[in-house]
Amino acid sequence: MNFVDLLMLGFSEAITPANLAFCLLGALLGTLIGVLPGIGPTATIAVLLPITFFLPPLAGIIMLAGIYYGAQYGGSTTAVLVNLPGEASAVVTTLDGYQMARQGRAGAALAVAALGSFFAGTVATFAIAVAGPMLSGFALSFGPAEYVALMVFGLLAATILASGPVLKAIGMILIGLLLGMVGTDQATGAERLTFGAVELFDGVDFIVIAIGIFGFAEIITNLERSGSEGVQLAPLSRLWPTRDDFRRSWAAVLRGTGLGTLLGLLPGGGATLASFSAYSLEKKVSKHPEKFGTGVVEGVAAPEAANNAAAQSSFIPLLTLGIPSNNMMAMMLSAFMIHGITPGPTVLTNQPEIFWGLVASMWIGNLLLVVINLPMIGLWVKLLTVPYRLLYPAILLFCCIGVYSMNNRVFDVILAAGFGLLGYAFRKARCEPGPLLLGFVLGPLLESNLRRTLLITQGDPSIFVERPISLVMLLATVVLLALMILPSFRRTREEAFQEEEA
Amino acid sequence: MAAPNGTRGDAPDLLTAGMFIGLGALGLYMARGLDGGTLAQMGPGFLPRTVCILLILIGLAVGLPALTRPAQAIEAIRIRPLAVITISIVGFAFAATYLGFVLASLWLVIVGSLADPGGKWSHILLLAAGLTLFGALVFVYGLGVQVPLWPV
Repeated sequence: MNFVDLLMLGFSEAITPANLAFCLLGALLGTLIGVLPGIGPTATIAVLLPITFFLPPLAGIIMLAGIYYGAQYGGSTTAVLVNLPGEASAVVTTLDGYQMARQGRAGAALAVAALGSFFAGTVATFAIAVAGPMLSGFALSFGPAEYVALMVFGLLAATILASGPVLKAIGMILIGLLLGMVGTDQATGAERLTFGAVELFDGVDFIVIAIGIFGFAEIITNLERSGSEGVQLAPLSRLWPTRDDFRRSWAAVLRGTGLGTLLGLLPGGGATLASFSAYSLEKKVSKHPEKFGTGVVEGVAAPEAANNAAAQSSFIPLLTLGIPSNNMMAMMLSAFMIHGITPGPTVLTNQPEIFWGLVASMWIGNLLLVVINLPMIGLWVKLLTVPYRLLYPAILLFCCIGVYSMNNRVFDVILAAGFGLLGYAFRKARCEPGPLLLGFVLGPLLESNLRRTLLITQGDPSIFVERPISLVMLLATVVLLALMILPSFRRTREEAFQEEEA
Repeated sequence: MAAPNGTRGDAPDLLTAGMFIGLGALGLYMARGLDGGTLAQMGPGFLPRTVCILLILIGLAVGLPALTRPAQAIEAIRIRPLAVITISIVGFAFAATYLGFVLASLWLVIVGSLADPGGKWSHILLLAAGLTLFGALVFVYGLGVQVPLWPV
């Protein structure tokens, strides 16, 4: 089948009424949680993961993907209107977006953000369609040694590109790896790290950890900082941007899209990194960088295009290599696994309808999001006035039902509560829990591939430097680690994430 | 070190170090009986032990410099949301199994709502009833979650 046939296959899958409905549902939910501060896409997807078990595989994955990119659209709405980023990736949008709103140009800012995002989403979807088959053909030549090297590189690169201290992130990955080893050892059948509890012989469930650390712990920390009510809404004006806005933003959208698509590919990259980088790039190429922060339209267009492009292109490593690059993709990986599908090169050849259906649904979802967001913006803004005290009991209930419904066991719910406490402690220790999930899903893969490699070579580790792809990957890892030791690089990295802290 | 000991120590980092080292040590203790094997024939204990040792090393690398940095406190811990939410979840787990979904859900929403001191009783009860109805319809009837609705 050629490219057009495959794309047609994808669209024919994506526009079945059920899949279209789940795409819309995902986009709506994504916008909703993007608008609401205090609920992120990670927690939402954790809550909905158990539910996807009851859906057909493609429908469930389409919905979860819709939540992720939908949240990028929704997050910008609150960033512009109330100076409150709904998502981490919308933090930079507040800088110029809210200033535009204060000058009475909120409508223009929102329209530029939505149209820029749509353009970026279209380009990134196309990038997935083109890069997917190419990369997965390449990945078919990977042996276990290449996979080990790729995972080591992915895990370490993820800690460096993500915000926060690198050592802590490495520690969190190690804890994740350790949690992934709980249960019966795949190769020898020995029971490991289970405290002798029968319930743990099958290992800890991903959903238990995700809901505990992201669902429960987030509720508790949000409740600690109450008093976020009383938002000041900027007045909504004429929605359509002026010709001048278009003239000034198209280049910014192009640059943001390109940068976002590339950064989304990197391990640890994703929407947040992309929006920060796109903003600083715009500032660098602009003729009058001093105007940034006072409401220039490029400062909204570039990061919004970038975060949406990156949200989508971060699916590429997962779909083609089977390696998730950030914690959102770790969630998506387990959504595939629930249905017994292991993402990777074989999915493209054996179940092309899954890959192409998802790609097509992303484009449709982006189109739906423009419709959902622009005319209906007033409705979303009203939601901001719903106090958190009415929201969190609902989230709590969905979390609990989700965990309980997996095995109908008291044990799972209590374990999730325990992970909630652990997640709370991590937040107090200022440890970002995302890398833990990445370590947890990659742990078993890493261990089995490492074992296989060394079994083939009879314990000789030199295979990792003899195979060229693996050597390149390991060299890249060493270079990254060396860069971290250089003080000048460390400073640049800290500056890049500085604005996020503020 | 010129400054007195009282003004030194980055508490969040020290907490991190404590957790890393503690979890690493716990892992090592639990993996003590597992066979390490050889590189060619890795036993079940090989990777857990390696990871635990790395975790302890990272813990030390985070913790030791933190001892001499200027003092930084951990954000205040508020016991009310922490305790109330945890109790409501654990209660739900038992109630769902023995008392059915309706009572479990009412318990979770009502007790969980107490975590926020500002709520009005009328709102809480209305919310509890509404969410329970929604949950029963969507999850138990709609998605077929295997949980009894009423006490058995």
